[in-house]
This record gives sequence, C-alpha cells and structure tokens, in this order.
Amino acid sequence: MPTDIAAPRAPRFKPLNFAFLRRKATPGDEGDSRVWALMLVPSLIVFVVLLVASLGLFIEGSLHRDLGYGRTGTEWEISNYLRVFTDSFYLKCLWITVKVSAMATIGTMLLAFPVAYVIARLRSRWAMLLLAGIVASTFITIVIKVFGLMILFASNGFMNRTLLALGIVGEPVVLLGSEGGVVVGLMQFTLGFAVLLLYSVVQTIPRSYEEAAQALGANRLRVARRVLLPLCLPGISVGGLMIFNMCMGAFTSAALIGGGKVMTLPILIQRTIMMEVKYSMAATLAALLLFAVIAVNLLSIFLMRRMRAGRKVIA
Amino acid sequence: MPSILGNFLRLSAAAFAVATLAASPLSAQQRFDGVTLRVATFGGVWRDIMDKELSPKFAALGGKLEFITGSPQVNFAKLIAARGRPPFDVMEILDAQTGDFAKTDFLLPIDYSKIPNGQYLSDFQKQKMLIASWATQEGICYNVDKYKELGLPAPTTYKDLANPALVGKVMIPDINSGGGLAGFGAMAYAAGGDEKNVAPGVELIKSLKTLKFWAQGDQVVLSFQSGDIVAAVAHTGWCLRTFKQGQPVAAVHPTINAKTTGVSKDGWLGVIKGTPNEAAATWFLNQYVDADYQLTFSIVGGVVPVNTKAIQRMGEDPVFAKMMQLKPEQMAQQLHIDYTKVNIPEWVDQWNRMVVK
Repeated sequence: MPTDIAAPRAPRFKPLNFAFLRRKATPGDEGDSRVWALMLVPSLIVFVVLLVASLGLFIEGSLHRDLGYGRTGTEWEISNYLRVFTDSFYLKCLWITVKVSAMATIGTMLLAFPVAYVIARLRSRWAMLLLAGIVASTFITIVIKVFGLMILFASNGFMNRTLLALGIVGEPVVLLGSEGGVVVGLMQFTLGFAVLLLYSVVQTIPRSYEEAAQALGANRLRVARRVLLPLCLPGISVGGLMIFNMCMGAFTSAALIGGGKVMTLPILIQRTIMMEVKYSMAATLAALLLFAVIAVNLLSIFLMRRMRAGRKVIA
Repeated sequence: MPSILGNFLRLSAAAFAVATLAASPLSAQQRFDGVTLRVATFGGVWRDIMDKELSPKFAALGGKLEFITGSPQVNFAKLIAARGRPPFDVMEILDAQTGDFAKTDFLLPIDYSKIPNGQYLSDFQKQKMLIASWATQEGICYNVDKYKELGLPAPTTYKDLANPALVGKVMIPDINSGGGLAGFGAMAYAAGGDEKNVAPGVELIKSLKTLKFWAQGDQVVLSFQSGDIVAAVAHTGWCLRTFKQGQPVAAVHPTINAKTTGVSKDGWLGVIKGTPNEAAATWFLNQYVDADYQLTFSIVGGVVPVNTKAIQRMGEDPVFAKMMQLKPEQMAQQLHIDYTKVNIPEWVDQWNRMVVK
C-alpha cells in the first residue's frame, strides 16, 4: 500500500524522559534513556564548573570597588555598573562592538552562503576537496591570517598594486586603523566557520525540492527566494547568531587591524586589566559584553519566532 | 722527624693549594646548577640579544635563563595577578612604573657589593630597589625620500606631523606599548601641557590623523617597509633597525620647548620579592650592566647604554653619533617626565576616550 511508504518512521531512540530517575528501573525498561541521560553528566559538570562558576565569579567580582593595583573592596556595590551605564564612553564602545560585529556577520553570511551552497550541491570530488580546504583554513591561527591580510593590503602590497594598476582605485585602500578594516578582519576570521555551518544547513534540504520548483516553472532566482532561503532561514539565523557571538568577543582582529583606533569592548577590557589593573571594572565590562550578547540572541530568537508565527498565520 | 716535617710540608702545600683555589676568580664564581632564572622583558630583539649573550654565560654556571615577554606594563599586570607567587625573578621596569613600584612591595633591595660593574654607573642609577639598565631616545623617525617627494622639510616638532600631506601616513605609539606613556607625556609637554595636564597633548594627537597606534616597535619597521607610513614617533632604536632594513630613514629629536630637545625614557631592572633565586638575579644584574654587554645590546637595540665605558665607545660609531644624542650636554637637554606626578590610570582613561571620540 502506498500509505505504508508515507507513514512516519518510528524514532530510533525514545525521547528523553527524566522521570525515570525518580522511579525504580525495571529490566528492559528505559535502558536507552538512562544511558543517554548519564552521558550528559560529564558535560553538565564541565558546564557548571567551567562556565557557570567562572561566570559567577567574574559577575561577583564586578560588584566591588577597585582600590588600585588589583585590589578590590569587600563591600558589594553597583557603582561600576552605574558608571558604565551613565558614561557615554562605555556605551559608545559597546555600540562600536555591536556595529562591527553586525556588519561582519552580514558580510560573512552573504559571502559564505553561495560558497556553502555550491559545495553542498557539487556532485564531483571537488566538493570534498573544497570542504577540506575550508576546514584546514580554520586551523590557521588568526594572528597569521591577520598579518597576511595586512601584508596583502599594505600600501605597496599585492592588492593595492593590482587595484591601482587596474585603475579601480585612485589611492591605496587602507585597512589599518579603521572600522572597515576590523570588519574585514572579523569576516576573515569567521568565514570558514560560516561556510561549514551553512554547508550542513544546505545539505539537509533535498535537492528534489529545487528541482520540483524548477519543473513547475520557477527560475533560479525564484527558487532561491521562495524555496531555498525559507527552508535555510532557521539555519542561517542560528549560524548568523553564532558568527555574531564570535565577532563580539573577538580580540585579535580588532587589536591588530584596528591598530588601537577601534575601541571594541574586548580591547577595552584588555586595557582595563593590563594598563589600569582594575579587575572589577574589567569584570563589569565583561558582564556588559555578556549581557549584550545574550540580549541580542534573545531578541533574535524572539523575532524569528514572531516571523515564523506570522508566516503560519498567512499560510 | 723527617717524616713529621714531610707531613707538615705536605699538609702546608695542600692547605696553600686549597686557599689559592678558593681565592681564584674561577672558584669565586658562583654555581647555579639547576637554577632557572625567569626574566620579564620585552620580546623581539631585546629578548634575542639577552638570549644570545647572557644565556650561554649562565648556562656555563649550570643555570638556564627563561624569558617572559611583554611590555613592562603587561608584566606588571602579571605580577599583580600572581598575588604573591612571583611569575618571574627579574623584571625590566620603565621609568613610568617606578612610582607604582614605590607604592607597592614587589621588589627586593639590591646588594651592590655583588655588582662590581655598578662602579661604571652614576649614583642616581643605583637606587635601593632599582638599577638602571638602558635609556631610549624617543623621537621622530621619518622617510627622507618620501619627505622630499612630498616637498616637506624634515620634521623638528611633533606638530610638524600634522601636515595635511601626512594624513594617514603617520604612526605614534599606543599607550599600551613600551614607549606609549613617554610618547603621550612628551606630546603633552610639546603642546604646552605637563604631567598633570595632558589635554593639550590629546588635542595634538587628534590633529595628527594617524594611520594607527603601534603596539610593538617592529610594527614601525614593517610599516616603513610596506610603505604604509612616512613618519613615526618611536625611539631611535626602531629608526636604526628600519635603517638597517634598507629604508632611507633618519631620526629627529623633537623640540619640546625653548630649553628641551629630545625625550629620554629610562629602563630599570628590579629583583622580585619572593624569588628563590636572588643570587642568580644579582648575577644577572651585574652582567646586564657590564660594558661589553651594554655596548652589544645598545648597538643591536639602538638604545643608550648606562655604563659610562660603553657610552664612550658608542659615541665613536658614526651612525649612532648621527642618530642619537650621546654628548652629555645633549643628554642634559632631554625631557625626563616626572612620573611621580602622573596618575597612569587617568592617562590611560584620557587616551581611551580620545580614541573613541
């Protein structure tokens, strides 16, 4: 019967149900679930010790006054937070960080998606070679990548000589010491990760969907806009958020390409620790960065849900 | 009797031999078997010269030198973060930090009786907790050919770098860098301010329209080579290294005011309290101010030695004589920032705000 073919397949594993932890196990009952749940325990310990505890420590540290030379007061107070939220300097640093991260994320996703799509749809062995190349590039330390970029875009570097010779630019393109340069550096840092992420997203979409749309008369652009992108949107959104989070915390690109002229929060945190030796203020700035990242992520998830809900209503 | 006399003579000879050996310079040298002396210093050439010149000598005494690199500001932060467990035994300290060290309790007193090379230092260079190690001459390094192409005269002051023809072609040290505080202070002075009032310096820096603020001196060399910059505020050592790389650069000691030309930045060494290797650290200090090492170090690093014998010999070199101010009257004219009047976190804050504005 054709209906048998369309019937949903039973899940391979039973869904996790932690109720079993509260009752006695019976032979053959819930065995798989228990094993899977136990496997989560090491991750949970690592999560609690390395993430929750360390976050708790620095947030607690932010609630004290700096007394100079790394010493902090014992009283709990919110003076650092008051200063951060009432001083336009800190808010501007936050704005610069969000701005360059958002620009880099958009640029990275726009560049990464076509590459990921082409590799995912390639039927030749080149696909694996290209993918291996991208994976290998992500192993190269960011310092080397950034120095490469700086050499490439030096006034007498290859890019500028080529652009000048072709008459595309009248003066050498300067990346150093500009927000634009930092955006390019962040894109270089995250591009490989983005391609890998989007590759796995595109892989999950059956090629037959696009072929069916084309068979029904849609051109390539329409297929991309009406079939591919809507299906990839959750993956693109999650990938975009991951890239944004990476950019928000990125230090090396901003430090080396920004040349001390682009004051992102990670750079300010480093200076507050290394130059001013104000641990509480640095912890406050780190907390600000953390809360900003969480806020942007929650806002994005909220907007995605609203978009999805809106689409369902329209449907 | 003869046997008694013979024994006495033999014993006397043995005692004499032991006494002679004990008094000889060879046995006077201490052994540092198994000692690893950790030295906090700058990276790059600074570290390399020490490694090349001093590591073999220390190894010959059974020890090993280990270098913890970073700017002195960064190393001071490491010292604080270590909370009483010294991460290194000896540290290179900037004049800008002497006030910080005076307020804290990180250093051991220096035993000058074990530093014979200290006799070639001036008295002010031998302080209770700090011994002078070098001085740099912070100035302007510029590409002579590019200046000619642009039709500009050689710069004589920091303000000359604000020429519209140099927009985006100048680098100055970041406050984070080794020369950052000296550069910032010097520009404040040159613009009419002082240690307590750096606002004029902030305005001057804003007017420069710099390409970037350099964090490590080798960025100066690379940026001259890549053609990204035409001039930089840096110490003459970096100018010298750029010159050695084949770039047509010259050093200028900027006029600060009617009485002052050039800026001096002094380096010091200190032994960190709590070190288990105090004797080895003192040995290191003595070697550092040795005339031969000072000369080698100064020639390669482009710094001014503190050992008077080395200064004399360095002045005989035509390249150094041209790039540096080595005559006593010239050195006396240089600006020495009084860091006891400086609130460094306040300077850093003002710098950061300038960058964001």
